[in-house]
Formats: sequence, C-alpha cells, structure tokens
Amino acid sequence: MSASRRVQQWLTFTRQWWLFDAKWQDPFESAKVINKHLKGAHKPIFGGHADCGDHVVVINSQDIAMRGDEWYYRVYFHHTGYPGGATWTKAWELHKKDPTMIIWKACYRDLEKDLTRRGRMQRLHIFKDSNIPKDIIQNITDQIPQLRTVPKRLKDYSQEEIEKFPKLFDYPKEHVLD
Amino acid sequence: MVNLTRVMLWRRPSVRPRTVDPFWKKRQIFKLSSHFYGRARNCWSIAIRRVQRALMYVAAGRKIRKQHMQDVWDQRIRSGCQELGYLPEGEKTMLEGLARSNVLLNRQTLGNLAVLEPRTFEALNKIARVRANEEKIARYLGPFPKGILGKL
Amino acid sequence: MSQLSLFVKSGFVKAPLANGIGRYVPQCQRMTLKFCLGWGNSRGVRDFIQHDLIEFVKQNPGTVMYLKPRRHRSPVLVAEYLNGGREWFSLNDMTREEVYKWVDLYRTKAGYPDMHFKNYQHSDIPSIQGYWTPFTNKPADRNMLEFPQNSLNTPLNLKPSTSEIISKLYGEPQEQRSSR
Repeated sequence: MSASRRVQQWLTFTRQWWLFDAKWQDPFESAKVINKHLKGAHKPIFGGHADCGDHVVVINSQDIAMRGDEWYYRVYFHHTGYPGGATWTKAWELHKKDPTMIIWKACYRDLEKDLTRRGRMQRLHIFKDSNIPKDIIQNITDQIPQLRTVPKRLKDYSQEEIEKFPKLFDYPKEHVLD
Repeated sequence: MVNLTRVMLWRRPSVRPRTVDPFWKKRQIFKLSSHFYGRARNCWSIAIRRVQRALMYVAAGRKIRKQHMQDVWDQRIRSGCQELGYLPEGEKTMLEGLARSNVLLNRQTLGNLAVLEPRTFEALNKIARVRANEEKIARYLGPFPKGILGKL
Repeated sequence: MSQLSLFVKSGFVKAPLANGIGRYVPQCQRMTLKFCLGWGNSRGVRDFIQHDLIEFVKQNPGTVMYLKPRRHRSPVLVAEYLNGGREWFSLNDMTREEVYKWVDLYRTKAGYPDMHFKNYQHSDIPSIQGYWTPFTNKPADRNMLEFPQNSLNTPLNLKPSTSEIISKLYGEPQEQRSSR
C-alpha cells in the first residue's frame, strides 16, 4: 500500500470522540444512541467487517432520569458463584454506590453478545459529573444531541417570563390558595 | 505408506463400466468433506451426515447473504442521511423521495455512493429532501438545504 | 455470487485485437429487423419502422439497418458486430417504445454476449470525489468549540412543547385579554 493510500485509510477510519450529556436522560434509551456510536453504525462505512467504532464520553451520569418509581422496582442481580451468593440490588441503591454503573450496564446489555463487546465497552468513558480529565476532554471532536430537553423548574424562569406567559383561566372566587 | 494421490486423481474413462461401484459415489461426498475436522473427513457414516448438514447450511446461507447485503446497504444509506441531517428518518424517505423524483437508483448503488462519492450522495439527498417536502413523505424532516429554491 | 449458472455464460474480458483497426468506430455494423406484416406480435416493430426508423438511421449512419418482412413469424432483431459477434433478440409483443429501447441498446453493445466475468473486477481508484471520512460532512466550527457545549445538546426532531403551543396560540398581552 502506497503512502497516500495508507493515509487515506487512516483518515477514513479515524476514531472520533463524542460527548454525551446524560443529564435528565433515560439511560436505556441513551444506551441505544451511545452504542450506535460505539459500534460505528452512524458512519456510511459501517458494514460489520471492519472496526470503525468511536469513543463516547458520557458526563453527568449521576443526573440520569427514570420513569415513575422505576428506581424502586428495577433490580440488578449479581451472583458471586458461591452458595447463597446471590444479591439483588435496587436501582437507587446501585446508583448510590456507583453513579456510573447503571448507564454502563445499560450499554453493556444492549451491545451484541460477541467478541466485539468488551472492546467496544473499553471505548465508553463515563463520568458522574462534568469534571472530565484533561487528557480525555482534549480528544473530543463532537457532541451527541440529547434525546429530550432538560426540564426547567419554575424557579429557573425569570419573573418577566412568568408574567409574559398567557393566563388561561381565572380561579373562582371561592378557590383557596395555600 | 502408499501414495494414492495419482490413483485418486486419475481421470475416469468417458465410457463408464455398467457396474455401480459405490467407491465413486462415496468419493463425491468425501470430496466435499475433505476440509472437515476429525473423523467427519474420512469415515463414511459420519461424513455423509455432516456433508448433508453442511449443504443445508449453504442453501440457507444463500437467502441470508442477500438479506445481509440489503441490511448493510440500508444501514449505509441511513447513516449517510442522518449525518447530513436533511432526512432524519433515513433510507425509507430517501428511497421514496428519489423514486418519486424519477431517480432510479437501487440500494446497492446508493450505499456505494454514500461511501465512495459523498458529494453525489449529498446532492441526491437534497433532491429527496425537496421531494419529501413537496409530497409530505416523511413525518420528520431536517432543515431545508441551502441554495435550493424549493421546487423540483 | 456463484460463478456457475445454467443460463448466463461465463468468460473473460476481451478486446478485438486487429492492430487497433476497429477502434473508435461503432461496433455494431449491421442490424436486421425481421417481422411479419400481418400478425399482431409484430405491431410494435411495424410502428417503430413507420415512425422512428428513418430518424434512427439518420442519427446512426455507422450501422446498416435491414428490414426483412416474412410471413407468419414472430419479430426478431439480429445484430452483427465488428468482432464477428452476432446477437439474436426476440421483439415479440413489444410496444414501439420498448422496441426503440432494445434496438438502441443492441446498437451500443460491443458484440460479446452478456456474461459473468470470471476474473476479479477491480478498480485502483474507486472514488473520484474522495472516500467518505468523518470530517467530510462535519461542520468546521467543531474545531473551535469548547466542550461540553450546551447549544449542541438540543434534541433532534423536537416537537414543540405544550407551553410553546400555548404561548403561540394565546401569546397576547394580558391587558388586551382582560379588556375583552
């Protein structure tokens, strides 16, 4: 292979580094998008025959969101291999122990169960907050858009914005506000 | 050791003897099992079963290969579309939009164009985007391409 | 795919080697249209001859066109080429447009039958515009941005929220609403 062809090969298969902000995101829906980038399925060169996967840096994993009381009924199972070694950990407990674990497991579970799985997981870097080591943040080339907007609380709006919002109805006179 | 290679490769005479020699019938099967591991290579009762199973896999693979290739092309078109952002729904809108614009390219060609000729693919993508806008093909559409007046 | 086929021939790419005499000229030398004057399956060929043939021949002076009416046979195109090749093609029950298309195709052929090439087809430069790279369609401002960037967090395919719809529908000053 000539020098120019070799460079062309390197250029096409350059590893990209993507950033994903997990704040207020569903970890299981996010895992699908993250895995798409880990596999390289977002590139037209993807064909299953070449390793074209990218790195993904996930930040704010401690601020992920789950629906309803899913924190209480989603249970993670582990077995040490010894008799009586089974443990069941609720999602909120696991998240308290390690805030990166839920999104890691969601991605691990969603990937194909073959020899590529561990290598792809090595390219996933999860951080519980937005403090990223310098040697990682300097690699980042682009950002994955979030799946849904981060909701705003009422106190985040300015007084002017609140007053500008149209008033749809008036409370009846006998209605008592606390 | 007796070297039988010459004997085995000996070309059979064009006029066959009328007798049915099972050796030659088995040799047809052993030719197919020559690359198997273990006794499935040389023992008849194992080899015939393994060869029959292998031929069944081959027959199934003919269908699977076609489906796999279509999946790969669809995937390439989809990722090309989503990267450009005009057609977030991917290959479905693109193929429909191009077909309605009388651009008769198949999945294989478009998938190859996405990799090999990205500028052509982008132009085709814009055509499909404009057509999708006119005929309401897709539910979600990306931004309207710049430099296009909006009519085909 | 499989190189063995019952119907499609297989072979190798060839070029007519006659010290370059036959190069840069149309390879199709002679075409014969055989058709019946009465039967309906020659209808398209007769229409083609009536309407398109003169124009076609004027446009392609390198190809000689023979017409051979024959009674009670189906219509046929026979094309003969510079390399000695001869192609036979049935025009049975075709419309005028289809006949035009096929005749034009056989005019542009090289004289070798359709075949599956046994040798490996390969191009040293498969891409004219340059291969796709991750930077082909990436906006250039990504080089200058500091990450994380809040503006890039906006979800794709975002539908307007209920608050936005309400603001749009009833987003009038409060005084006007109360005065109504």
